[in-house]
This record gives sequence, structure tokens and C-alpha cells, in this order.
Amino acid sequence: MSRLPQDLEARLAAAAPAGVEFSAETDSYGVTVAWCGLAAAADLSPVAALLKELGARLSMITCTMPSAPEEEEEDEDDDDSEDGEEKAEAAPKETPKSFGGTPLDGTSYEIDYHFDIAGDALTVIAYVPQGGGIPSLTPLFRNADWHEREMMELYAVAVTGHPDPRRLFLDASVDGAVLERLVPFSTLVNAASTKGLWERLLAGKKGAA
Amino acid sequence: MSTHNVPETFSIPVGPLHVALEEPMYFKIDVQGETVSHVDINAGHAHRGIEYLTTKRSMYQNVVLTERICSLCSNSHPQTFAMAAEKIAGIEVPERGIYLRSVADEMKRITSHLFNVALLVHLVGYETYFMHMMQVREIGQDMLESIFGNRQDIGAMCIGGVRYDLDDKSIAYIKGALAKIEAEVQDFIKTFKTNGAILRRTKGVGVLTHADAITCGVVGPVARASGVDYDVRREAPYAAYDRLPLVVHGATDGDVWSRAVVRLEEILTSIDILRACLRDLPDGPVNINDRPDIPPGQAVTRSEAPRGEVIYYLRTNDTPQPERVKWRVPTFMNWDGLRFMLQDAKVADIAMIVNSIDPCLSCTER
Repeated sequence: MSRLPQDLEARLAAAAPAGVEFSAETDSYGVTVAWCGLAAAADLSPVAALLKELGARLSMITCTMPSAPEEEEEDEDDDDSEDGEEKAEAAPKETPKSFGGTPLDGTSYEIDYHFDIAGDALTVIAYVPQGGGIPSLTPLFRNADWHEREMMELYAVAVTGHPDPRRLFLDASVDGAVLERLVPFSTLVNAASTKGLWERLLAGKKGAA
Repeated sequence: MSTHNVPETFSIPVGPLHVALEEPMYFKIDVQGETVSHVDINAGHAHRGIEYLTTKRSMYQNVVLTERICSLCSNSHPQTFAMAAEKIAGIEVPERGIYLRSVADEMKRITSHLFNVALLVHLVGYETYFMHMMQVREIGQDMLESIFGNRQDIGAMCIGGVRYDLDDKSIAYIKGALAKIEAEVQDFIKTFKTNGAILRRTKGVGVLTHADAITCGVVGPVARASGVDYDVRREAPYAAYDRLPLVVHGATDGDVWSRAVVRLEEILTSIDILRACLRDLPDGPVNINDRPDIPPGQAVTRSEAPRGEVIYYLRTNDTPQPERVKWRVPTFMNWDGLRFMLQDAKVADIAMIVNSIDPCLSCTER
């Protein structure tokens, strides 16, 4: 007994011409959790507009950087002579792709928009390749604001059309995309190390004087 | 009087460290005379990178880690996280464990709500009553300490059930404590409806209209006090909430007073729910007594923390560590409501209005 509209899948498909990958599951409490992958990230805005019309509430936005699927070990057990030929054949190794064709090589992003429709959950998934961008939902859903600002400081995702793209939690002096690189613990707790902080303050003082 | 050239418009800082705020948040407030004209919120003073840390811990270590995100809703985090893991692995929590989850949830809700409303009375300036309310909350805190061995991080949840059990003695003790709290909270509600000092300071102050509440997507008592009839325990039941006497309280005024009274009424409902749990508590194991590997998958789970909807997204892979854990706490949504509540408010009311969303900063910034 889903509270999602009966024709939700069809309406989502109509809003996203590039295609959707829809699935839904209802648990023993009668709560439905649905997933909707988008083939093209550009379809996000019309889909969000449809959900707004349906009275959905944006609950959360998750950005992830899915790791590349592990390469299967090849059993190279015979024929040294044909080695060269085999390599040439295997060279254009297929990178696994997401629904919609974004390469899943560990550098692309998956952005999940978690909506609530009358108590049921719908997650709209957009795939963005490295260096790509995603339209901002803040003009439609005011509460996307902080989620998108947080996403922009944790990952190098460009959110286009955000009305206030300032840093949210991290200071402007911190380099961006902190979840995409290793930040050594000593760097992370810079201010917590008394000696390091003093040295920086003194150096700053000298520079000023 | 204004022979000096004093501008009428000022910009005043409230926070990050301020006597009336329990946690560091920086409000840059533009005032015109005594009236707030614009609010800018600057966050980040308690950002600890816990989201990153979860991917370096195993699924079972993360139950411990998520409990330490926050103190007042410390039970909701591991519970919602465990629910996500159970969903991916297809783990069925035993019936007794399901009820005991609701018991832990409601006990934490009682002490969390009492803390917030007591602080409101403190900010109103009614110190004796503040101390009295905190004394009543102490009954609840004693209850947590006696049952769980801890006052804040109660360590009740685990993947596959709960880590504590109740016997006849502890059930009788809880019932006695609840009776004491119930009588007092009924008194609090009466006081809130009649006491002139409380009414004058809180009625019609910090209003969030129904339309603005929908726009901001606020949750929990803040939303319900503005007429948004939504409670995860009813809309998307979990634990034993589909068979408990849950009443969703609401109001329409959306002011500081309504938010406080909604919280007080919810305490009475929590007491009813606890009594029903203790009455219907089924026999059997409290957890699955196993630590199975969590297979690759993803799940979204939600629960109603004292402050509103908590949502967890969990993605697992072949390793013992999760690939991504993301969560959003109710306060993350409710800060934005403050911009509307503080608009045209008096400077003297700022701290009280901020308190009325029951802000939880450690939760917000992780």
C-alpha cells in the first residue's frame, strides 16, 4: 500500500526523457522506499519540479564517489607466444558504467536526492563525471541550500545556479574537495597543537612588524 | 537626544560563544534600534569530520561512533544506522528487541524535551522554575543511569537488536519514575498555560508560519508547532511504533510558546508509549546474538529523534567498512526557520527564539 502516486514511474519517465531506472520496495510496516536513477544529470531539474508539484519534501542530499568495481583477476596460464596478440585484444578494457553511461572508475560522483512523499521515501540518483556539474535545486527547494554548499566543499562537484555558494562548515582558507584527498591528521588538527599554533602566530607577528 | 551622529542600524554578533547558546554558532544580526532586520548564520565551529571517520571504521565500530555524534539524541543515531545495516543484510530484530528500542527512544525523548523546555524557562528569567524543571528531568536522568549505566550515551543499540534487557524489578522502577514525571509534567503544562511571565515572554514571539515551515522543510516539534502534521513514528513506523498508542501533538501558532507546549505534551505521550511497551513486552531474545557480515548494498532509513526526523543513507561494499555513511539531523533543517522566526524580533528575545528550535550543533556539523 504505497503512498507514492500510482503512476509515479511513468511521470518520472515523462519528466526525464533520457530515461529512468525505477525500483520500489515496501517493508513490513507498509513504508515504501523507492529509487530512481537518472540517465542524464540534466534531467534532475524537471524531475525535481515534478516532485515539488507532488508535494514532496527534500529530506537530504548525499554525494558519494563510488569506488571502482574491483578488477577481476585474470588467469594467465598459457600461451606466451600469443601474449602480444591477447594484450592488443584486451587493451580497450571496458570501464564499468553507471545507468546512463557515466564511467564508474572511482572518479565520478553519484548524487542522491532523498525526498519524502507523504511518508514514503524516494531517492533520485544523478551520476556526474569528474569535472562535471549539476544544477542547483535551491531555487525549487529552499532547504537544498546547505546540502549543496556542504557538497561543494566536500567534493569538487560544480553546483550551477546556487544563489549563495559560500563555504558552509569549512573555512575559506581550507582547500576544497576534502573528501577526495588524504588530509593528514597533523594537518587536520593544526589549531589543536599548541606549539604549531604558537609558531604560526609568532611568524605572523614577525611578518606584520 | 540624538545630538550625536549615532546610526540607527547596527550589526551585532551573537556567538559563536555566547552565554545563552550551549554550542558555538555565530549569528550576524543586523538590527534597527531594538528590532532584528536581517540574520546571517555562520556555521562550522564544531565540524569534526565524523562522516569521513565512519568510512574508516567497521560497521560494528560505527554503532559506537554514531552514538557519539550528539548527546541528547545519542540513541537515535546508532538506532537509525543499525536499521540501515539490518535492511541491507535482511536481519530481523527479535520482537523483544523491537519493543526495547522504542523504550530507549522514548526515555531519551523525555529527558531531551525536559532539558529544552527548562532552558526556555531559564531564558525567560524564571530561575526557580527552571531549577525545579531540571530537578524533574533528573528523575529521567536517574532512570537512564539506572537502566543503562549512563546518563547520556546509553549504548542501548546494536545491529540486530539492543544491548540491554529489563526484568520485573527494573520495570517496576521505571513505572514508579514515570508516575513522578507525569504528575510534574501535567503541572508544567498548566503553568505554561497560565503563568503570566511565561506567557508574556513566549506568546506570539518567534513565529514561523505554516507556509514558511513547509518552504524551509523544518521537522519535528518545530514543524508540528507550525501546523505541519508529520511524525516519522506515524508516517514511516519503525521499532514497535506501529502498535503503540502514539498521539501526534501539534499547534498552529508557530511561536516559542507553541513549540514548548508541543514538547511538553509529547512527554506525556512518551510516558503512555513507555507504559504500553512495558505492559506488552514480549518474551524472547533482545538481539540476534550474532555479528554477521553486512553484504554490499544501500539503504535509506529514518527515525523520529527528539528534535525530528533523522535520515541515514548507508552504502556498503565487500569490506567490513561502509563505503559511505551520510546522515542529516533535524536541526540541520531547522536553522533556516530561524531566519523567519528572528525577523522583526526584539534583541532581548534572540536567545530565547534560538533555543526554541532546540538546536543541536554537534549533530548539524558532524
